[in-house]
Amino acid sequence: MGNSDVPALDVKGLSISFGTIRANDDVNFHVKHGEIHALLGENGAGKSTLVKMLYGVYHPDSGRISVDGNTVDISSPSVARQLGIGLVFQDMRLIPALKVWENIALFLPDTPALLEKEQIVTRISEISARWKLEVDPMATVDDLSIGEWQRVELLKVLLQGAKILILDEPTSVLTPDEVESLFAVIRRLQQAGTAIIIITHKMREVREIADNVTVLRKGKVVMDDVPVSSISDEELIEAMVGHSVSSEHRDSRANYQARPILELAKINVQRPDGTIGLADVSLRVYPGEVLGIAGISGNGQEELADVLSGYARPESGDIVLADKGESGADAGGFASKGITCIPSDPIRQMVVPGLDIASHVALWEHATNPHARGYDVSGAGKRIQKHAAEVGLRIPPSNRILSQLSGGNIQRVILSFAIALAEKCIIASYPTRGLDVGTTADTRRALLAVRERGCAVVLISEDIDEILEMSDRVIVLGNGRIRGCLSGSEMTRSSIGRLMAEEETEQHEARAGEHVE
Amino acid sequence: MKQGQVSTLNDKKRHTRIVASVVIPLISICIALGCFVAFALAQGTSLEGLYAALYYGVLANPNFLTQTMTRSVPLICAALAVIVPARSGLVNVGGEGQLIIGAVAGTGVAVSMGDAGVGIIGIIIVLLSGALAGGAWGYLCAVLKTAFHAPETVSTLLANFIAADIMLYLLYSPWKDPDGSGQPQSKPIAADLRITTVAGLPIAFIIVIVIAMAVWALLNKSRWGFAARVVGSNPVAAFRGGLSVSRYAHSAMLLGGALAGLGGALNVLGAEGQLRPGLTTTFGFIAFLAAFIAGTSIWKGVMYSIVAAAVLVGSNPLQLRAGLDGNASYVLLGVTCLAIVVISRKTGRAS
Repeated sequence: MGNSDVPALDVKGLSISFGTIRANDDVNFHVKHGEIHALLGENGAGKSTLVKMLYGVYHPDSGRISVDGNTVDISSPSVARQLGIGLVFQDMRLIPALKVWENIALFLPDTPALLEKEQIVTRISEISARWKLEVDPMATVDDLSIGEWQRVELLKVLLQGAKILILDEPTSVLTPDEVESLFAVIRRLQQAGTAIIIITHKMREVREIADNVTVLRKGKVVMDDVPVSSISDEELIEAMVGHSVSSEHRDSRANYQARPILELAKINVQRPDGTIGLADVSLRVYPGEVLGIAGISGNGQEELADVLSGYARPESGDIVLADKGESGADAGGFASKGITCIPSDPIRQMVVPGLDIASHVALWEHATNPHARGYDVSGAGKRIQKHAAEVGLRIPPSNRILSQLSGGNIQRVILSFAIALAEKCIIASYPTRGLDVGTTADTRRALLAVRERGCAVVLISEDIDEILEMSDRVIVLGNGRIRGCLSGSEMTRSSIGRLMAEEETEQHEARAGEHVE
Repeated sequence: MKQGQVSTLNDKKRHTRIVASVVIPLISICIALGCFVAFALAQGTSLEGLYAALYYGVLANPNFLTQTMTRSVPLICAALAVIVPARSGLVNVGGEGQLIIGAVAGTGVAVSMGDAGVGIIGIIIVLLSGALAGGAWGYLCAVLKTAFHAPETVSTLLANFIAADIMLYLLYSPWKDPDGSGQPQSKPIAADLRITTVAGLPIAFIIVIVIAMAVWALLNKSRWGFAARVVGSNPVAAFRGGLSVSRYAHSAMLLGGALAGLGGALNVLGAEGQLRPGLTTTFGFIAFLAAFIAGTSIWKGVMYSIVAAAVLVGSNPLQLRAGLDGNASYVLLGVTCLAIVVISRKTGRAS
């Protein structure tokens, strides 16, 4: 286990750049055996990049990583695993159709060519009993709850004998009870001398579990190895965001005296499987405002976005558009009425295999102006480049096949179009998901800029920081219902978090109820 | 009005593709012939017999080309009936039934005209009624899909049997020719309604090639073709782009059915002169095969349909000269199609 004075992991001057973006700049921190160390920072602060360098996914441009006092070159994840570094990913990488033991066997380096089920199951049971990680090795992964998935991921890492455990945003998908049991396991691991690094942007968790904290902001360490007990919440927030969080920090363009651009009255939507999509949702979108929709995705966000952008007809309730009166759903949605949309799953919802960018843009333009007689493909190709330049995003040439581009490039094309063509309102679902730090900032700036022409933004996001940074008002959505609407000084991370937590508990109870049946 | 230029192929690539569309079938036929000879020899046929069959079927048959063109008319139409709906994501297995319904409607209208001497106008009316009937037959399946979620693959397949039974019913009772010596066949169609040849070329074949060119332009150069392709490639994206998915499903099946129906009517006016039960047997399915191998390419579809027609025409004397069963033509056709599939996939991968 090594001398307790020698850090289990020591990082000195680590830097990495992607293009012109310096994702990590001279990062220093260390973690000892038996220590829980929190890496705190906003989304896009560079936490995940740092983790990927520690796990050998990225190679740092400069800097040094030492494990137990020895400088190491972590050239690949398998090298990281040999060094005893284990990573529990944010997105869980299990194969749903397989059983738990099969998933684990696939991952273990010493698995023989012929799977010896008994032997693997025994090993899993031993480890799971030792750390009180309750998992049934014979269960099919698809049947497990998200908390159980995570336990399987943790088991995988522990089975390879990790001495340094990295957890990337482990609580973001868990219910409060699941968080508690995860923390209990983490504490047991700590007592056994494991060095634990927990990545998070939730302050409450830092307080609850971590011994020391390192805060990252825009790729730089702004607070280095500080004992959590010695620092106040305000100081931590200050370090994280650079200025105190308050909704008044930027000027609002909202005009609440004007007629709403879009109004929903008692909207109910049922999903195809019979469950509730939206229940009794009423809201108004005013010119020039940014209306944030917070909540964990899958709670009606998809349905709300479809109703707001005119792609889905609700079972009951009214949709009222400012200057066109009431309107029902049809192909093309409200695009012809100046309302554009950034969908939650752009590849599935917007991309036609084999078509180039220009043809896509011609298609979308036609939806905004269905009375046009034809598709002006070559003109559309030129216009999208102009739009992208105005919006401040870089997109590939218009003759490239859209479906063959990276997710980030596809998103930038869709963003450029939706932002440039929004006249009345833009319905943006997770607009910055999958984008790099620089593009994220450009996208947010471009979204805020549409307010100058009286256009509203409905921002659907899971990222509380993004919502707080951009919104004039925030609606918290849970189980298809509006949990609450916050504005002005009520808009804080804790008040939004509380409304979301209410929903988590409710969901948890609902799930418990299903099991009883 | 500016049109969408969907194709992004450069000229060189296009050139290679055109050459490939001619060369691949030729190589395929050679390989297929090799396999077929082995099959025939195993059946106890002599090489001389096979050669005689080939000789009298192709080389010594002065009408080989004309017959091939005539035979390819319904095949090409039925292949187009597969390719057009395929562009908007629909699988039309109903070319056979749409051919039959087109032939039935065309015959009905033509026979009812009798010897009225209506000439060219009569021909146009007969062809239009065939197209209309075939289109309605296809459209029905599109409505079943959009209104009741019945998969078009199943409904078009089943509609084939209904169409065949309608034809048989008509031929065995109400339409039976009293002067047909008891055969189940319709009255012959008046001579001035028949489509003949011009300068040795069957007029029906010329019509079909012109129609294929028009369909190519529709699919590749028109707004409808662009939209149909979007609908076929990603219906969700099409809906979000303002296109009504069901509208394109309806129009694609209507058009596909109409093309097959036209083929049926052309076949009656051109080759047959009357409706008989064996008239279109399996043409729709052979054409489906040709279109399937062609992917969604019109020219390959036309090319493979002509190849199939050539094989059918050329293998006619097999029974007489080589003493093989009449179905040997289909064995040869099957082997040829297999060869085309294998070779085109291989060359496709290479390029």
